[in-house]
Amino acid sequence: MIPPVGDIPADFSLYAAIFGVFATIFIYSFLWKENPLSRAVEHLFIGLAAVYTLAFMYDAAVSVAFWGSVEEPKMAEGNIIWILPILISLMYFFFFTKKYFYLYRYPVAIVAGIMAGMMICGMIQSNFVAQIQGTVTLPLVGETPEGKPVWGGWPPPGLNSIIIIIGVITVLTFFFFTWEHKGPLGVSTKIGRYFLMATFGAGYGGTVMARISLLIGRLRFLYETSYQDWFWAWYLIPIAIICVIIVALWERSRPKSTPPMTSPAKPTSTEVPPSKPSEEPAAKPAPAKPARKRKSEG
Amino acid sequence: MTLPKISQIDRRYLYILVFIFVSIPLLSPLKLPIPVSEHTRRVYDVTQALPTGSVVIESFDFGPATITENRPQAKAHIAHAKHLGLKMVVVAFWPSGAPIADEVLKEVYGADFPSISGYGTNIVYIGYVPGNEVGMQTFGDNIMAAKGIDHYGTQLGNFPLMQQVRSAADIDLWAEWTSGTPGEQQVIQFVQGRHGGSSAVPIVAGGTAVSVPGMMPFYQTGQISGILNGLAGAGEYESLLNVAFNYPYAQGPSLDAQSVGHLLIIAFVIIGNIGYVISKYRGGKSS
Repeated sequence: MIPPVGDIPADFSLYAAIFGVFATIFIYSFLWKENPLSRAVEHLFIGLAAVYTLAFMYDAAVSVAFWGSVEEPKMAEGNIIWILPILISLMYFFFFTKKYFYLYRYPVAIVAGIMAGMMICGMIQSNFVAQIQGTVTLPLVGETPEGKPVWGGWPPPGLNSIIIIIGVITVLTFFFFTWEHKGPLGVSTKIGRYFLMATFGAGYGGTVMARISLLIGRLRFLYETSYQDWFWAWYLIPIAIICVIIVALWERSRPKSTPPMTSPAKPTSTEVPPSKPSEEPAAKPAPAKPARKRKSEG
Repeated sequence: MTLPKISQIDRRYLYILVFIFVSIPLLSPLKLPIPVSEHTRRVYDVTQALPTGSVVIESFDFGPATITENRPQAKAHIAHAKHLGLKMVVVAFWPSGAPIADEVLKEVYGADFPSISGYGTNIVYIGYVPGNEVGMQTFGDNIMAAKGIDHYGTQLGNFPLMQQVRSAADIDLWAEWTSGTPGEQQVIQFVQGRHGGSSAVPIVAGGTAVSVPGMMPFYQTGQISGILNGLAGAGEYESLLNVAFNYPYAQGPSLDAQSVGHLLIIAFVIIGNIGYVISKYRGGKSS
């Protein structure tokens, strides 16, 4: 039953559903043509996402620093070690000054150093050593680790092993540039290229699947969202579409603005530009300043 | 309209066709059969094999952009773990994953969550752990050093479950629901690799359909024990749970729509290529 006019439901989910319908239709209207509504929702999404992430990360960082953890006492209890990372992170704000810009590089260098050290160790183990181990221990005879016969059933696990081994070797030869890809090496690189193309095809198939999934998610939202049996989200679909059409027609009827000039027009003989004392020596090329001079700029 | 001209058709007609073909199964489900893939069944088998009281980490590392794919995966797995009597530590290494996890837990455990019996002993929701890869590594080494309070502001030391689960060495399964970085590769690098490998910290992962081809090498080597592939993986998992304990099979219409949408895309690719070949043949002949 529809509530009487003036009795505004306090439940936020109703307004979220209404907003969601309009935002979904406005964003999808981009597929027809870029229009002010699609741009507005796009900008709104970017702004909200940026502010939300900033606020959430700030809150989490403060909670870790001030509330500490079970292992580390709180900063409020005198554990001033937390001041160190806070000070280092505050140095990021020197990005906005010219005089102390160089201080911004220190937190960047610290983070880059930590991440490089962590990633090198982790990548070598998980993406290099473990992958080689997994390839050289592929079962070709006997039984698989799960106890199944390697050449039993269809497709047999042994066939998968052979395909993987051929794929690894031929793709590696494709990226081997010391010798020209001729003769047996040429055959191997050609097979490797087919494996790579199959990989790209699998990636493209996955992309199509993911995009269709996203469309399904939004369509299910539009078709199934309801509020207390009197409001269904799909009621608003025609209204949102009419809004898009009206805005598109309005934009079409507007006079087109002239594009901004890329270069200033040359002054006529009567229009002499006012000379500035500082511009006079510009005729002479200034000597290049050394990079260190940047620090003294202010 | 001749085939060569079809290859030059305005793409907006194709959008309308996709919209119509995907909508039909959603409004009138076709109830197509859903064969369960091997990597989905592995997620089910690995979880099912855990004894009651085992500890599972449920990590929400995705945002609203992939909620259609990752959310049903995570929800189904948490419901499965709850049904089996497993203990769960729920966490998010993405800021945007934290409210989604809160929403999912309220759906599985009821709107009163976390004010339920068993919160602190069977399940704890830590919330967002900052620091990306660094936060993940710290969490694996010492959970309570990574964050001191749960998502609702209670000190973690007050929970009996957190006295039992101190690091990744104390967990029996890591369920990673992800659509980017940090994700399954970072769990392998910074948690599994540091705590005894895949036998000590088995990982099951649910990814978007885009990212799953990148996960497959880790599945082949056993670093990931099972994978849910996008929305289809979620639907397959739901169908297994539906047989096991009548878990609602909510993604049925979605999988029908996906099958129909894929058939349409395949038809587009075939017709477009035929048109391309014919136009090339005719162009070559005329020249």
